Amino acid sequence: MLKILMPAVAAGLISAVAAAQQPPRPDPGLAVYKKANCAGCHKWHGGGGGGYGGDALSLRHTQLTREQIVETVNCGRPGTGMPFHLRGAYDTTRCYDSLRADMGPQMPPEGTSFLRQSEAEAVATYVADALKGRGEPTLADCTAFFGDTSRACDLYRKETRDGTPAPQTTH
Amino acid sequence: MTRFSTRPWRALAAGTALALVTAAAQAQTPAPTPAQAPAPIPTAPPPAGQPVDQNRLLKADKEEGNWLLHHKNFGAHRYSPLAQINRDTVKNLKVAWTLHLGGIEGGGIWTHGGLEGTPIVEDGMMYVTDGWGSVYKVDTRNGAGRLLWKMDPKTDREWAGAVACCGVNNRGVALWGSQVISHTLDGRLIATDKETGQVAWQRQVADPDKGETITGAPLVVHNMAISGVGGAEYGIRGWIAATDLTSQKEVWRTHTIPGKGEPGIETWKGPNNAEVSGGGSTWVTGSYDPETDLIIWGVGNPGPDWDNTYRPGDNLYTDSTVALDAKTGAIKWHFQHTPNDPYDYDSVSENLLVDAGGKKMALEADRNGFAYAVDRTNGQFLWATPFVKKVTWTRGINPDTGKPFEYDPTKDVQRYNASATPHPENKVADVCPGNMGGKNWPPTAYHPGTGLWYIPVIESCNRITHETMTTASLKPREFFTGGGPTQPFRITGSVTAIDVATGKVAAKLETPFPLLGGMLATPDLVFTGEPDGRVMALDAKTLAKMWEFSTGGGVNAPPMTFTVDGKQYLAILVGLGGAWDKWFIDSTPELKSIQTGSMLYVFAL
Repeated sequence: MLKILMPAVAAGLISAVAAAQQPPRPDPGLAVYKKANCAGCHKWHGGGGGGYGGDALSLRHTQLTREQIVETVNCGRPGTGMPFHLRGAYDTTRCYDSLRADMGPQMPPEGTSFLRQSEAEAVATYVADALKGRGEPTLADCTAFFGDTSRACDLYRKETRDGTPAPQTTH
Repeated sequence: MTRFSTRPWRALAAGTALALVTAAAQAQTPAPTPAQAPAPIPTAPPPAGQPVDQNRLLKADKEEGNWLLHHKNFGAHRYSPLAQINRDTVKNLKVAWTLHLGGIEGGGIWTHGGLEGTPIVEDGMMYVTDGWGSVYKVDTRNGAGRLLWKMDPKTDREWAGAVACCGVNNRGVALWGSQVISHTLDGRLIATDKETGQVAWQRQVADPDKGETITGAPLVVHNMAISGVGGAEYGIRGWIAATDLTSQKEVWRTHTIPGKGEPGIETWKGPNNAEVSGGGSTWVTGSYDPETDLIIWGVGNPGPDWDNTYRPGDNLYTDSTVALDAKTGAIKWHFQHTPNDPYDYDSVSENLLVDAGGKKMALEADRNGFAYAVDRTNGQFLWATPFVKKVTWTRGINPDTGKPFEYDPTKDVQRYNASATPHPENKVADVCPGNMGGKNWPPTAYHPGTGLWYIPVIESCNRITHETMTTASLKPREFFTGGGPTQPFRITGSVTAIDVATGKVAAKLETPFPLLGGMLATPDLVFTGEPDGRVMALDAKTLAKMWEFSTGGGVNAPPMTFTVDGKQYLAILVGLGGAWDKWFIDSTPELKSIQTGSMLYVFAL
């Protein structure tokens, strides 16, 4: 009993100590989100929106399930600027049951980087958990993306300052 | 700052300064430290150069071998009298040297930076910038390019890159006194010591928190740096600002969107507040007329770009040329090209200042496809000529009024040719020119001998999808455009020459790609470049192609020319960035193969 228990307890202690000493692990899906340049169209907050280059859909308002997001990341969205990220998509691997020849002008563009299946799943999990269904971006969202020091989040700090009533002095 | 030098005491001075000494201590010359010194190359030290003052800039054309001002002279002629490279000799023009630059990193919504700058040259010393605003000083003597220092402003890429509508761009520097004056995308004005590459001072002029960025080169007039701003796609209120280069204080800031009670506010009707989101960017360096002491500057589109029902009225001073009193910034006259613009037809282009036919003219090649001449003393309309092959938004400019024929002053919302105009009942509209315009920021050039004015043209149409905006759509640092373009049509280009005396098109050379390179005029030849990487020389009269070289990159910057050691050189930055390869590439599919790069090419006979 002891012989079995001890290593487990020891391992538990060690990992607990290690966890306490290290900053929280960055979301692997967020890393993929950055690597695959999702922010280039959907913006860092996933809100997408109209602008100079058409209209990237809002990931905050998306109705897609995690599995559908994985498919969209892998295969892109035919007829739009959303690129595919699966190596061999439409060539060696069918997407939406189609090959390149079937797609014609609907063929989506190729992503700036290809993603492994684990990466596509990680970014889909990130979109489903951290973006989907969320309202307006907050300071916490911004610092989760950029860290604490970027001026890209100053705007939200200002809003927090401006939008929060000054502390009341009590007598 | 990173400094590169063959002179040991200079390297030491920079290193020491970085580490610990104060600005005052920099004046002392530390003793050479041979152990730290790179091996010296036997070459004379760079000339210190005379301080640049207003007098020198007024006579910039007299310094034939130099290129002291962004547009070569205050009148934006971009004409050099240098003629070693001429009709007969141009066939022998070859690459003399190249220099790799940096600044291709991404940031915000951008995967990479690009090069759009015009090199400045004084006594063989060249100053260029990359897209993130690093300034490079290059010694061009002895037939080679030698980097003397690089000033890296450490631009906040995420902060600025997220609100740069159209790329990671910087169009170059100005010289003043013994300093190099430059901007950064994150809104700073920076003065750098010309000799050491040390930043002397800097000032935040624009605020990316509001969606403001700066891409243009400063214009220096009367000891002031004039700065323009970008951001009309993000709901800004545009301005032109003057900073005193001695006191480092702001002298004036003139908003291009009038405030309450100011003249022009009556051209913003309806409930929406023009001061909040009126747009009117000023992101291209303007010109200066010393006779009238007027700074003549172009103003960009209103915001939101494509939903003109959001902003009933003519929307002054968007899509206008404005003339500002250089001393006070007061608007002395204006001329508007596209009232209540529903097409994103900026009028940011530089104004060419020339005298012809007894008229003192300011000429502007507008994004709406027409070249305009106005009297630069009072803004009175003289003539307008289409310089693109296809215009569909209007049937023309009324020669009596200077307004589009369909313009109806009794209406608050203009429809022009309604079928080509995006509006709530016409959600998808195909329009020519497209929203990059007939001519974008790449500058024109002018030949004073022939009176020809060379326009780098984007021959284009595109498709606009209209989106109705409300104040709820207006969020800081977010696009506020009222729709957006797609590119179902192939876009090509041309060089179009207009005779400024007659206002007629004198010659046109069609090109397979949009002319994103900008123009340089010389006695025999004009030079330009294409986004597929070709740099070319054209006959100044006929526009026949006389010479061509493929750089292997993408050209999105204007050529310039200078002399050093008595020899003429042609210089151009190569590195496609800007708006094209993100937003417009579908119209030029071959350009998808152009690779990211950042390189200075210098040619000689």
